[in-house]
Amino acid sequence: MNTHLKSGWKETGIKSVWLATALIAASVVVFILGYLVLTSIPIFFETGVSGFLFNSVWNPTGVVPSYGIAALLIDTLLVTFGAMIFAVPLGIICAVFLAYLAPQKVRDIVKPAIELLAGIPSVVYGFFGMVVLCSLLQNVLDIPSGFSWLAASILLGIMALPTIVSVSEDALYVVPKDYTEASLGLGATKWQTISRVLIPAAASGISAAVILGMGRAIGETMAVMMVAGNAAVIPSPIWDVLSPVRTLTATLGIELAEVASGSMHYYALFGVAAVLLLITLVINLISVRITKKIQSGGSVFSIPAQIKKILMLCGMIFAVCILMYALGIIPTLILTVIVFGLFFLRRIMSHKSIERTAFGIIYAGTFLVIGILFVILANIFINGIPAISWEFLTTAPRNMGLEGGIYPAIIGTLQLVGGAILLALPIGIGSAIYLHEYSRNNLLTRLLRTGNDLLAGTPSVVFGVFGFAFLVIFLGWGVCMLAGMICLALMVLPTIIKTTEEALRSVPNSLREASLGLGATKWQTLKKVVLPSAAPGILTGTILSIGRAAGETAPIMFTAVVFSKRFISMDLFDPVMALPFHLYVLSTSVPGSETQQYGTAVVLICLVMAIYLVAIVIRKRFQKRLL
Amino acid sequence: MVMNRKTMSIVGVAAVIFAVFLVFASGCVSQGEDAETITLAGSTTVLPVAQTVAEIYMDQHATADIQISGGGSGVGATAAKEGTANIGMLSRELKDSEKEGSNLKEFVIAKDGIALIAYPTNTVSDLTLAQIKDIYQGKITNWKELGGADMKIVLIGRDSASGTRSFFTEYVLDKEDAASTMQEYSSNGAVQQAVAQTPGAIGYVSLEFVDDSVKAFTLSGIAPTVENVINNTYGLNRPLLMITNGEPTGLAKKFLDFILSDEGQNIIAENGFVPVNV
Repeated sequence: MNTHLKSGWKETGIKSVWLATALIAASVVVFILGYLVLTSIPIFFETGVSGFLFNSVWNPTGVVPSYGIAALLIDTLLVTFGAMIFAVPLGIICAVFLAYLAPQKVRDIVKPAIELLAGIPSVVYGFFGMVVLCSLLQNVLDIPSGFSWLAASILLGIMALPTIVSVSEDALYVVPKDYTEASLGLGATKWQTISRVLIPAAASGISAAVILGMGRAIGETMAVMMVAGNAAVIPSPIWDVLSPVRTLTATLGIELAEVASGSMHYYALFGVAAVLLLITLVINLISVRITKKIQSGGSVFSIPAQIKKILMLCGMIFAVCILMYALGIIPTLILTVIVFGLFFLRRIMSHKSIERTAFGIIYAGTFLVIGILFVILANIFINGIPAISWEFLTTAPRNMGLEGGIYPAIIGTLQLVGGAILLALPIGIGSAIYLHEYSRNNLLTRLLRTGNDLLAGTPSVVFGVFGFAFLVIFLGWGVCMLAGMICLALMVLPTIIKTTEEALRSVPNSLREASLGLGATKWQTLKKVVLPSAAPGILTGTILSIGRAAGETAPIMFTAVVFSKRFISMDLFDPVMALPFHLYVLSTSVPGSETQQYGTAVVLICLVMAIYLVAIVIRKRFQKRLL
Repeated sequence: MVMNRKTMSIVGVAAVIFAVFLVFASGCVSQGEDAETITLAGSTTVLPVAQTVAEIYMDQHATADIQISGGGSGVGATAAKEGTANIGMLSRELKDSEKEGSNLKEFVIAKDGIALIAYPTNTVSDLTLAQIKDIYQGKITNWKELGGADMKIVLIGRDSASGTRSFFTEYVLDKEDAASTMQEYSSNGAVQQAVAQTPGAIGYVSLEFVDDSVKAFTLSGIAPTVENVINNTYGLNRPLLMITNGEPTGLAKKFLDFILSDEGQNIIAENGFVPVNV
């Protein structure tokens, strides 16, 4: 009896710990939003809410200052929309290939490779976009400047790809084998099985992937800022993809650092941050609702089909507009007729030829994805390897980074990422355990879950803005390592929670019931049965998080980093150097430093990949044990 | 379970190695407790000047650690005022809102010229202030109107909070707004790179960002060179500031004294910047 009571207390205690972590994770987003809105109140008194949202002139330092964000809002949506049109179909195609068509050996190589690519930092993409993509667009399309909406959308699409591929592939892969066997047994072709059974079965995981990818695109600051041209205008006509645009995030990235604190412009920027956060919150809520509908069954097939139709229609209209702009009207008409012809041809084609066509498209898409990623890496490594030397890796920078090395930046990045993961991992895993293993479906749980979903879509620059205003200035910490760690930890927290929950969900209930039935307590079941089985999934989440944290610039550029520093410091209240910020400053402020830029990019990528490789090897061992 | 333990221990060992490495790495470079540290933050225009002088100062004083970060003029003012940096760097004068409620001391450490730049093969080579104003307000939209090739002009400028831009708006545009199609970049280097890649572009940058990758216009016949800025014949020039909250002390004072000394000013001149005490 006594031991029984004791274990009862212990169980309650453990449950409260999980609850506490879940509460921390969920309340953060409320606090951030509240803080941003409070700080931005003066601007709404100045312009009124509608004057702020619907005025399209953003000119805060003009003779008559104007603080309208309509153009910024529209540009943000256009850039994200363009990126998704590019990334979602390609990402899903690639995931289907990896999950169902690729031979095991190919999958074993390509899957980790794509996960490695998720770790290419946004500032590296921005750097690549600036140097290669924009010049390419400029020459190929013969336009005055390649810095444009198109460049930003392509770059964001590429950046979102690894996330979408990796997470949807996970979802597709865990669909029970029985489904495939049942479908094939009923006489369906392989393609029918994939398109009618397996993809719908994995729909919730795939939408999670798309949401994660979209979150990455809409919240992206550095890459967009480096290639979008940043003129605060609405493209005219609206489908003019070659127009320069400026997103909400870029506005923050560019202007927050320069603005006089306490001025109306400063408050306006907090207004921008609050609006940005609100948009991502709304998008998140909508997508969460969609996911839920899919999960609740019943309407499983009809709703995705409707959405698919709407999305396809939007995509087609968009594609036609681009083509008209780029090629002229007549070639576009011909192309459209061909496409529609193919569409109707499908009706009279045999199942076999449909399957062959579909697989052909899948192979081509996968090839394209891998090709793009290969080109980026090849460009960076070929130009970067010659810059690497012992001196480059082990000395501090001199002469604006043109001489010397990047040693303090390497250590600084490791410190920031290490601290961030140490902060985020316990809270993230605890929170996921509470949500999935302990909570019943009541109001509190729904609120916690919503909080996490909202945090997941919060753009990384918002953490930077918040950290700058609250930690650096309000708490008076100054620019320091700890502030950067906290910002990065907040940023990766939802990824860890989401993937951990997904991993816990994939552990069959029969295992839990068996363990409980044998007399194990809930905690024993968790510790010995559920967590070990879920470990590979949890590690995947951590891998993705480390990748993001190591490469992020926006959350740390206002809070933790300095451009140059000669000594390494272990004091949490000292600023540090960091590789992504170093690359950003080199590529935007130090002309003639191409060698060092490429060198820094190579080191940054290698560092991230080394961390990834360790984690992927560990996960592999877990998987072998399980299967 | 065996596999599990083994894996756990691998993770553990990796973590320990990582921690040991960090400690070892920091031990290698840090200079003990007597190192004195100051932080500079602010304008990306002043940053290279400060950086160059700081490196030579640190070479002479092994225990001095001078950390320099960019941000912008606004950050420079805020950071100095809030005490998050010892010295703020500005490429514009302090605004009244920034002077309020604090005792900021200003030091003019160097001067800067603003050069108008274009793609290297641009055939136009001289502009007047009035022409520049018309270009940036969208009244002149093609290089052929200025005697150059038939090519659309692509406007490139700085972001709306930049000190360089507010100077440009005040002295070139007579405080009027630039055309809204102007592309905006957040640093001198970014403007320079964008111009170097774009055949029809025009941009404005600090003098030290003029190199072979771009062509600098003469302004009514006068070239943007260090000499012409020093003797004030080149019209577009401005002071570069460092500010401290109250009288500077310790390393901050020593460093400011060094910059303003003959030796410091010589270093500035030798590295292609414009000294203020000649």
